[in-house]
Amino acid sequence: MMHRLLRCARLVLLLAAAPLMASAQTAPRPLVWGDTLPATLDPHAIFDVPSQFILLNVYDGLYRYQGNPPRLEPWLAESHTVSADGLTWEFTLRAGAKFHDGSEITAEDVVYSFRRLLAMRRAPAAAFTPVLTAEAVTAVNPRTVRFVLSRPYAPFLSALPLVAVVNPRVLSQHVAGDDWGSAWLAANSAGSGAYRVNATNYQPRVSLDLERFPEHFSGFAGNPRPIEAVRVRPVLETSTRVLALLRGEIDATDSYLPADQVERVDRNPGTRVARDESMRVFVIRMNNQRPPFDNHDVRLCLAHAFNYEGFNNVVLRGFVARNAGPNPNNLWGNPENLAPYAFDLARARTHCDRARAAGVDLSRPLEIHVQNELQQTTQAAQLFQSDLRRIGINLRIVPNTWPNITSATARAETTPDMWIHWVSTYFVDPENWIGQMYDSQFHGTWKASSWYSNPRVDTLLRAARESLSQEERQRLYAEATALVVADSPDIWVYNTVNLRGLSRRVSGYSFSPVGSGGEVRLMSLEN
Amino acid sequence: MALYILRRIALSIPALLGLILLTFVLSRVVPGDPAATLAGDAATPAQIAQIRAQYGLDRPILEQAVIHVRQVLSGDLGNSIFSGRPVAEEIWQRLPATLELTFVALFLATLLGIGLGLVAALDHNGPLDHLVRVVSVGGLAIASFWLAIMLQLQFSMEWNLLPLRGRLDVALGQVPRLTGFMLVDTLAIGRFDLFLDALRHLALPAFTLALPGLATIARFTRSGVLEVLQKDYVLYARAAGYGRFRLAAIYVLRNAVTVTVTQVGLLFGALVSGAVAVEAVFDWPGLGTYAVQAILSADYKALLAVTLVIGVVYAVVNVAVDVAQAIIDPRVADQ
Repeated sequence: MMHRLLRCARLVLLLAAAPLMASAQTAPRPLVWGDTLPATLDPHAIFDVPSQFILLNVYDGLYRYQGNPPRLEPWLAESHTVSADGLTWEFTLRAGAKFHDGSEITAEDVVYSFRRLLAMRRAPAAAFTPVLTAEAVTAVNPRTVRFVLSRPYAPFLSALPLVAVVNPRVLSQHVAGDDWGSAWLAANSAGSGAYRVNATNYQPRVSLDLERFPEHFSGFAGNPRPIEAVRVRPVLETSTRVLALLRGEIDATDSYLPADQVERVDRNPGTRVARDESMRVFVIRMNNQRPPFDNHDVRLCLAHAFNYEGFNNVVLRGFVARNAGPNPNNLWGNPENLAPYAFDLARARTHCDRARAAGVDLSRPLEIHVQNELQQTTQAAQLFQSDLRRIGINLRIVPNTWPNITSATARAETTPDMWIHWVSTYFVDPENWIGQMYDSQFHGTWKASSWYSNPRVDTLLRAARESLSQEERQRLYAEATALVVADSPDIWVYNTVNLRGLSRRVSGYSFSPVGSGGEVRLMSLEN
Repeated sequence: MALYILRRIALSIPALLGLILLTFVLSRVVPGDPAATLAGDAATPAQIAQIRAQYGLDRPILEQAVIHVRQVLSGDLGNSIFSGRPVAEEIWQRLPATLELTFVALFLATLLGIGLGLVAALDHNGPLDHLVRVVSVGGLAIASFWLAIMLQLQFSMEWNLLPLRGRLDVALGQVPRLTGFMLVDTLAIGRFDLFLDALRHLALPAFTLALPGLATIARFTRSGVLEVLQKDYVLYARAAGYGRFRLAAIYVLRNAVTVTVTQVGLLFGALVSGAVAVEAVFDWPGLGTYAVQAILSADYKALLAVTLVIGVVYAVVNVAVDVAQAIIDPRVADQ
């Protein structure tokens, strides 16, 4: 009876919806990208993983990362030279690259872009402000830009892809006070990238429509059928995101598909999961300046009490790669044969007992802060909690949010005992990981939130930052990494394998750790 | 009546002022540093301090509160600390989506709720009464988050009848924003196909949002009708030969729904503020999802503005309910 009722209801609904379904099916579908949108479209105002999508598709920089492992390739610049002292860098721009308004990109535009970035002093500027002033960026001639650094800074070239070149002729019409046009650029674009923003349909963090810019300098080489229109429609809930992909409402999820959904998406005939090892390290931080974490034995005890295999291979179903230290495994700068900590409760107990014998009080509950909206951080904390209980340590899980935790890490006294996060690829250089995580000059930033301090490590990292020899940098970083891992300031768990659910009508998807495969220029679409 | 309305409006003003102050204090005493969030992932402590000074976050909290109240009273809700855009503009973009969803949900809840309540009362302790009771208890007990997913699985995935998320199919083109209400705008441009598509997108979220309200309205209507059915005038009307349904429609319902109207009013406010889970599951780009994003990014300006807008909606609805009650039952205004 119930079945028959349901069948009747279905028939009525089908009849009612039939004309509309037919009209929906005949229209060609654009690429519907279901990944997160950044809070603002201004490429100089913010730098996080979602903003890389805007940077790669709407704007161009002097250099760009391509492929996996990422190669740094000339982009708006066709070549560069650097002085023997490593201070003066000159970039020659390629001829004929145009902004979306048709005007040619000149050295003055690059100068304006860097001066805007440095004046606004927002996130992407952080990589440059210690070594670059606005006056130090000049146009030698219409196709040559010169940067004079205040001191040698080896990651300079690696960090260049962070900076989008913006069109000053468009922006100057929208400047309000001293905002450098930021309020306007938050919801519009002034770029030269392979796609341009349709600002009339833009709704922050809800919808973004992109149309192809056929005159892009790349000529869409290697892609005979570039995608004409992109509709970015972020899907908030994981469950809805997966269902929307399976049903064909979106063509791509974000690149953090939960491991338990991989099989389901792969099994569906119209969808697949792209698996790509990235450079994004999952790390459990410890506040090294607060007892009992100021004791080396306690840190070693905790490092041996996390069930790496259980978490990586069972909870995350093996869709990650064990990572031994702060730098991703697949990056240069790691010592050879760096051994990861093993899950060994007997050894953990020995270290804890030794700490207790030395007078360390391990009776208070230790707090670990997890990020509410990121389920993996809670799963890791729960697993850790159960194993620590077996060696007599009480771990209290505190749900929190990213803004709360990162603001707490501004001071050692307010930094949590422990917290969990990832360090993503902002630029491909050990400076992005070990350099900014364990050099004590970065204390007060979330990246350096273990408040680790080792003068020898500081010296090595600073020397590596200023050295112009790649071999020497490799050696310095390897030595620093070995020292940091021996000190065990944090617990490094895995390097991420990015999992992005994709419709099978998308081809040409190419992953790079910078941008997580969001470069639409390379993709094609079957309708 | 006019005096009565003016008195109700005047009573709302101190409540709204209190709300502005209270929400400001609450937003500033909870942990979380908007300057750190705004500065972004790779910011240095110096950059964060500079932003804190730029936005006045380093001033004494009392001074910040005075500035905030003065700004709000002059109609300036400030800029989102995260996107840098005026909060009023962002809310203006989102509000119609939430209001459209709320109106449709409320329409469903009221229509079905009053109907079910009436049927249940007229069939007191009969099978229909029991059935409505099951629906009421279920409607109040089922978590909307769970119901939303179940409806998606059945109607979108299993039967392929209704869309899963959003307000409009991306392949059908764009609708120019006239009012922000998709149903109105699609009709205004003469695209009936888009209107139907918008209606299909509304179906599941509106029903999910409506169910608890429907249950409440059904229960209140049922008890109101039962109470009126006991009155002498109903007995005399029945003796005069009025049929059951004619009696219910003419005499009983109007006297019974006064309490229900209050419930509908309260429900409207609750639906606007309580649509968060439904909006999140169905990707409905309204105030609920905006508030969630504001919380996760510690965007206190946005959060204060959302709270204020919801407070104003509550105040307006309260006045409207009072007026509606006075119209249905003029004795209310005289009291």
